[in-house]
Amino acid sequence: MLQTIFVGLFGIAAIWFGVVVFTTSSMVRSALALLFSQAAVGAMFLAMQTEFLGVLQIMMMGTEMSIMAIFMVMYMMDPGGLMGMDMTHQKRISQVAGVLGALVVVGIVFLVGWGSIAGSVPPDQQVHGLGIELMERSMLIFETAGITILTAMIATIAVALERRQ
Amino acid sequence: MTTAMIILVLLAGAYAVAVLEGWATNGRFQPAGPVLDAVAMLGRESVVTRSSDRIFFEVGPVLLLISALLAAAVLPLAPGLIITDLATGALFVNAALAYVMVALLMAGWGPDGVYAMVGGWRFLGQLVGYSMLIVMPLTAVAMRAESLFTTRIVESQGAMWNVIFQPMGFILFFLAALAVCFLPPFDLPTAPGELAGGVMAEYTGARLAIMRLARAVLVVTLAVTVTVFYMGGWLGPVLPPWAWTLGKSLLVAAAMLFVGRFIPRIREEHLLQWFWKFGIPLALLNILYVGIVLLVVDS
Amino acid sequence: MATLIVALIVGAILFGVGLYGSLSQTNLVMIMMGVELILAGAMVNLVAFWRFLHPEAYSGQMFVLIVMTVMALEMAVGFGVGTARFRYKGSVEMEEARDLKG
Repeated sequence: MLQTIFVGLFGIAAIWFGVVVFTTSSMVRSALALLFSQAAVGAMFLAMQTEFLGVLQIMMMGTEMSIMAIFMVMYMMDPGGLMGMDMTHQKRISQVAGVLGALVVVGIVFLVGWGSIAGSVPPDQQVHGLGIELMERSMLIFETAGITILTAMIATIAVALERRQ
Repeated sequence: MTTAMIILVLLAGAYAVAVLEGWATNGRFQPAGPVLDAVAMLGRESVVTRSSDRIFFEVGPVLLLISALLAAAVLPLAPGLIITDLATGALFVNAALAYVMVALLMAGWGPDGVYAMVGGWRFLGQLVGYSMLIVMPLTAVAMRAESLFTTRIVESQGAMWNVIFQPMGFILFFLAALAVCFLPPFDLPTAPGELAGGVMAEYTGARLAIMRLARAVLVVTLAVTVTVFYMGGWLGPVLPPWAWTLGKSLLVAAAMLFVGRFIPRIREEHLLQWFWKFGIPLALLNILYVGIVLLVVDS
Repeated sequence: MATLIVALIVGAILFGVGLYGSLSQTNLVMIMMGVELILAGAMVNLVAFWRFLHPEAYSGQMFVLIVMTVMALEMAVGFGVGTARFRYKGSVEMEEARDLKG
């Protein structure tokens, strides 16, 4: 019961901050609202006893979204949001798409029979279990993630480098 | 009970750090200095700058304090004297410290001042430099303990402290710890004499008092972190465990505060260059070295 | 059961908000924020499935790790493209990005 309440509360926080991302006009506020939305998602993980992923999410998003904030300030025409520029297009269609998308998924959630609910897993066992999974069964996938990161690093640097004469 | 005790210890430590910092920067030892400063600051007018981002302006200093306290929550002062012993303790310290940067970013953007903003964005760049040097030495420490529990990390150092077992990791982590709490060689976000206080420039009165307090607590937290991960935490003969943790932490804090007296401030691009070009390869070598010692030499 | 449903609904709404954002915003960085929200919704669902349906299969957590990697990469590559575009065109407004349109 307590778990449901906490998951719900953090969920509401995540959604509220997610909405703030697109309603506020200050770009730094927008980036930091996304940060707190993601941190609330991390807190939801913690409430669902997924300790390692929760802490990892809170840590990674703290850095990631702050870096997003500086790019917002660099590339937006109105980072402080003091000029009241409208930066949206096809508003009606997007609203309809967003609401419809959410409704369809919620419908699916209620239509599917989820079967039995499993018991809990102690957190210290989890870190061990995840480590064994990473190094045994899913090792190849994990390596793929590493290679993907390397590729993305090279690609990003190649794209963003200033062209020399 | 434990929580109240640990917070009291942290506050006492913060007081000691404030005294030490005064000693390190002015060269005068004044045991009553922080009290006088605090009274003076609370008595002063608390100015809010024009067209400031009010939410960030108010939240910044408080978030700095909260993140320092959260990091301290998973550090053991003695067996049993810990707020929560998380299964991911070592990672959690790192997660909490990431929000130091968010707090400074808010405090920098909030007041709508040039120096403050430059200071805030500078600290973001500093984070890009130091964050890897926190994670990678911690990885090596966790490898030796075979656990992320902070208590088990302390217990793993029974035979030999990590500072002797992996000195390179200790040096890197110590430097990164200096960078996290923006102490002198790495005090780019505040930079007195160049940015006129940087992120703290626009804060006055009670808000500045909170910010100073938060910074002192942050220094204490990082000193305890270094103690727990590298100096054997509560381990030691004769004296009770908590005395060992406190003594070692005070020594580390004093070292952190006095190092800056002898080194000039590093420029942002030099900091990034050195941390990335030398720090990260050294940290990777440290992981390799610890792995080899653990798997080949010890078995 | 209730917790699973609550978590899935939160995931669904996050998906909806993210979809709205990524369709309605004109700026590259804001579009990426929408995509991040969609991915966050997916992660909430994955963790809920792992915790409440198959806590013995750690590949569920593995999947979340991969999604986190994808989030970071999406940001890095997006900013790389944004930097290049900003350098040549002076803005990252996606309304103006019609170079490839026939």
